[in-house]
Amino acid sequence: MRVWYLVRETLNNIRVHRGDVVIGTVTTAFALACFGVFLLLYLNLQHLAENLQSGIEVIAYLDPDASEQVVSDVHQRLRRDPAAVDVSVISKEQALRDFRRHFQRDALFLEEGNNPLPVSFVMNVRSPESVSEFVERVKRFAGVQHVQHSQEWLDKLSIVVSHFRLGAMVIGTILAVATATIIRNTVHLSLYTRREEIEILRLIGATGRFIAIPHVVEGAMLGAVGGGLSLVLLKVSFESVRSELLQAVQWFDGLEHSLTFFPVPVSLLLVLAGMVLGCGSSLLSVRRLINARS
Amino acid sequence: MIRFFHVSKFFDRCAALHDVTFRIDEGECVILSGPSGAGKTTLLRVIFGMEVPDDGQILVQNRNIARLHARDLPYLRRTIGFVPQNFQLLSQKTVYENVILPLIVQGVKRSEARRRVAATLQAVGIDHKQAIRAGVLSAGEQQRVCIARAIVTRPVIVLADEPTGNLDQELADEIIALFHTIHAQGTTVLLATHNQRVMAQMRGRVLQMRAGDVVSDKRMVT
Repeated sequence: MRVWYLVRETLNNIRVHRGDVVIGTVTTAFALACFGVFLLLYLNLQHLAENLQSGIEVIAYLDPDASEQVVSDVHQRLRRDPAAVDVSVISKEQALRDFRRHFQRDALFLEEGNNPLPVSFVMNVRSPESVSEFVERVKRFAGVQHVQHSQEWLDKLSIVVSHFRLGAMVIGTILAVATATIIRNTVHLSLYTRREEIEILRLIGATGRFIAIPHVVEGAMLGAVGGGLSLVLLKVSFESVRSELLQAVQWFDGLEHSLTFFPVPVSLLLVLAGMVLGCGSSLLSVRRLINARS
Repeated sequence: MIRFFHVSKFFDRCAALHDVTFRIDEGECVILSGPSGAGKTTLLRVIFGMEVPDDGQILVQNRNIARLHARDLPYLRRTIGFVPQNFQLLSQKTVYENVILPLIVQGVKRSEARRRVAATLQAVGIDHKQAIRAGVLSAGEQQRVCIARAIVTRPVIVLADEPTGNLDQELADEIIALFHTIHAQGTTVLLATHNQRVMAQMRGRVLQMRAGDVVSDKRMVT
């Protein structure tokens, strides 16, 4: 009879106090969405930084007069090098075609029989830490004239990313505390309007657990629905911003793959966070009302 | 049943109870009388564990209220029926739902609970309104529901704080008759009132209070 009563009472509480429940759910959704925006921004920037760092491109230019044997030797050595991935050869002819495509008018002086462009090798480096070592190694290869890479820029990016991570931790913590406080206060206000009901239950000898269960379950439901709603808000906003951004920054090839929404575990975690916050806030508030000895 | 040993209770240095000592035995009917502010309500609240005394000891069914752990308090309250001055009913719930609530809290079986509620509502004369929300009832009807809720668990003690305070004389007489019946069934009754007519109607002991003190303890001659 008691279990049935507690289930019915939880549903009844939601029905009777539907105004409070709706306000609580929407507030929870917006509070979690604010935190979610930050989390989404953080995850995407980190993802972008990782993509940029993992795609470190190194170009090794050979002597323009390098023989086919030298080209073949360098190619073999690069393919065998554990630091290099996706090694591709740009022949003199390919280089000329690319040059003409990019610099149509300025390329007029280049004629088919007079191609000064060297053979080059384009490759990615497996890990950002090994770039300097790899570049130095390639420079010593016979026939290699020049090695171009973006290490300096990437070093600066690494510093920015590490600072960003530190800042994100601080801001994330502040936002998480603010979100928890907003949800806690919303739930507390909602429960405060029911203090007379709680008082009456105490008057007839109800235990703290008996009084708390319907409110805690209600808080958990409110938090979970709020979390789900925040996910919907975030997804809609994310897709809208993503499409705008892809339109505006068409020149950035990797952007489409870098912008991602929360993976399923993080989405579930957000709903769970709402649930735990709603549940915990209800428990704290109801305990405060129960423990006031009267 | 109830024992007070030099009990004092202060609110902002003002003594609501001052060195109060008395004893109420099982099955007694005691009227707590005195003007407003004499300490009647505080005394009832202290017995019910709603206030903690600042000094002295209170034994209710041989349990020291002041030292009782918060988690044990509900179980003591289940043996005491309390009729507060302002009814304190769940206005959105029906009469039936209000009265059955203490039985649900105590885990009484549904069939037994229904039977007891029906009998109790009939005893207090409100059975014809059991499906009506408590919030729309008249003051007299709410008082009856409140009494029904207090006695439905068959408590050993019933505490009532000015149970006729909001009622006209005719209704007050009916409520007093109800308390007579409750007492006649062997329940210890402690009823606080400043109404002289109620005091005259009730048979039993009268504890006269003034400024937080019990100034006299007399047995009514019937």
